[in-house]
Amino acid sequence: MVSDTCPVAHSLLLVDDEPRIRRVLRLALEDEGYQVAEAANGYDALAALRREPPDVVLLDLMLPDRDGFTVCREIRRSSDVPVIMVTARTDSHDVVAGLEAGADDYVTKPLVAKELSARIRALLRRVEPANARQPDLLVVGDLTIDVPGAEVTRGDTVLPLTRTEFKLLAELAGAEGRVLSREQLLSKVWGYGYFGDSRIVDVHVRRLRLKIEHDPASPKHLVTARGLGYRLVS
Amino acid sequence: MVAYGLLALGLSSVLALVTWGVVSNYLTEQRESSAMVETADNAAAFHYGLFGAPQPCRPVREQAECGSPTPDPDVSVMDLLTSLPSTDAAASMVWYNDTWYSLTGTPSDLPADLVETVRNGTAAHRQLTVGGQHVLAVGVPMKQPGEAFFEWHPLASLDHTLQTLKITLVTAAIVAALIGLAVGRLASTLALRPLAALTRVADAVARGQLDARLQAEKDRDLGGLARSFNQTAADLERRVAADARFAGDVSHELRTPLMTMLNSMQLIQNHRTELPGAVREPVELLGDDLDRFRRLVIDLLEISRDDGGDQGSREIVRIADLVRAAADAAAGREVTTVAPEAEGLTLQADKRRLERVIANLVENAEDHAGGCKGVGVEAGGLGVIITVDDAGPGIAPEDRERIFERFGRGETSGRGRGVGLGLAIVARHVQWHHGSIQVTSRPTGGARFVVELPAKSGQVTGPAR
Repeated sequence: MVSDTCPVAHSLLLVDDEPRIRRVLRLALEDEGYQVAEAANGYDALAALRREPPDVVLLDLMLPDRDGFTVCREIRRSSDVPVIMVTARTDSHDVVAGLEAGADDYVTKPLVAKELSARIRALLRRVEPANARQPDLLVVGDLTIDVPGAEVTRGDTVLPLTRTEFKLLAELAGAEGRVLSREQLLSKVWGYGYFGDSRIVDVHVRRLRLKIEHDPASPKHLVTARGLGYRLVS
Repeated sequence: MVAYGLLALGLSSVLALVTWGVVSNYLTEQRESSAMVETADNAAAFHYGLFGAPQPCRPVREQAECGSPTPDPDVSVMDLLTSLPSTDAAASMVWYNDTWYSLTGTPSDLPADLVETVRNGTAAHRQLTVGGQHVLAVGVPMKQPGEAFFEWHPLASLDHTLQTLKITLVTAAIVAALIGLAVGRLASTLALRPLAALTRVADAVARGQLDARLQAEKDRDLGGLARSFNQTAADLERRVAADARFAGDVSHELRTPLMTMLNSMQLIQNHRTELPGAVREPVELLGDDLDRFRRLVIDLLEISRDDGGDQGSREIVRIADLVRAAADAAAGREVTTVAPEAEGLTLQADKRRLERVIANLVENAEDHAGGCKGVGVEAGGLGVIITVDDAGPGIAPEDRERIFERFGRGETSGRGRGVGLGLAIVARHVQWHHGSIQVTSRPTGGARFVVELPAKSGQVTGPAR
């Protein structure tokens, strides 16, 4: 799997305080066909992000100056760049906290570049229409979803959705009111098989509600079908 | 508690028996002696009636004249018997001048030896049953040798008294035993309550709930025991936590070099064709062992994560789907057979943990036991029974517990079987789901791992896949 299998070389920002990890991951990811920039701490990461926005950020949660959650929240304040957090800590609590901070996905150490590459590709995959007959423009309530343009507008305002949030919304809209199970969403949006972590879906649904619902505490559009999954209604 | 009751019953029975012995003896003796006195009085009165009042006896040298008084010829024996003062005697009989005289009663009812004894000059008595009545027969000799006076006295009232006594004593013994039981129960509950608490807490600690503590530290009698027990439990908890932390820290530290090695190896393998022929095989060896090393570190992390009290996440899953997904992926082919009635079974599960259970069992069969011969899902047992069959030599009965321990290798089983942490993780995760696991033999050879989980038919997270 060398660079020429990837038509466009995507750029990654690798944030990890361990020089050997940065070095080997850069080598392996470059071999997978990515362009890799490095940052050793949160400050450098934010600076690099401003200087040259990457396609994906790989963010280690244990950083010397500030923890990965804080860095992730700061990234989210200015950017909707996809963030994959790399956790060494395996407590389930960390995973949820990282997702709440705005990460799109997570991987656990020890990881190999191949697995990481699969996750990156899943995040970068362009949103494809959920079914072929689906129109380019979907309307749900007062929301207008421009599928090819990857944009959601309410009136004249463009809602600031991350790529993952947009894809989640588009999949739910494409289901035309039918319930999608968390497993179906994991598979369609994140490219996971049966054993994907369904908490990723739950946290993203919560975040999406904060952006599209008038009252996120009692959602009217993105509703939970108890024990079954989620659906989007007008 | 039952012992208290038995003790009380025993004691009160002994007391009742002794009382019975003493009182019944005393009453019988009283009755007998009073009957003797009465009979002797009647005998004397009869004698006076026949012979007149006794003359004052002359001095010894003239005794011959005093010897045999002559009977009063005008007196009839039967009249005399009738005129005897009425007593409670039921019958009076007299042997006089070689003839029986009797007012009531039949002299033939008297035992011959009793009559003989009395006629020979000795007073005697005996209990008899005459005409269905319990009586005391009393005989006294009269002044003339060979003559005797007999009476019998009914014993009904004595019998009645003794019967009442018997009932009273038996009732008292039973009541005492019941009171003993009640007191014993009360006393043992009070005395044993702290011990029951100790047993409960010790049980909890033995089952692995290391933070269980005794509350009785201020108890006067058990305070010392409670304090040292709690101390021991606290030490144990600290040690186990330190062990877990150590394993966690070690594997954590191993992660960074492992990541460097794994990614370097992947790079090398991506460029395998560019390698000189001489190093290809060593690189392959290195790659294989690196993979095993990675597996070991991941397992260590998994175990220390559990020791660290990771709560995991529960969701309702359709067990057949989960087993199919995990087993078929681990085996790299379709190995799962689901019984129709097991299709709808669901379970509150941590998917990640349950995936490890199935994957570890299947990988164990594939790597160490001649390949996986099938994974079955059927309803039964705790809810669902999952079986994983292999084609290996089977597990000797004495090793069937040990293989689930950390690094537990069967002594007599095939090499490599159960090495490492895979089965220990399986056992833990099954326990986490309140299930059970055991290993048995297949009739056709090979081992069968049987996992039971508390599944039920119910709502599912999503449509069947």
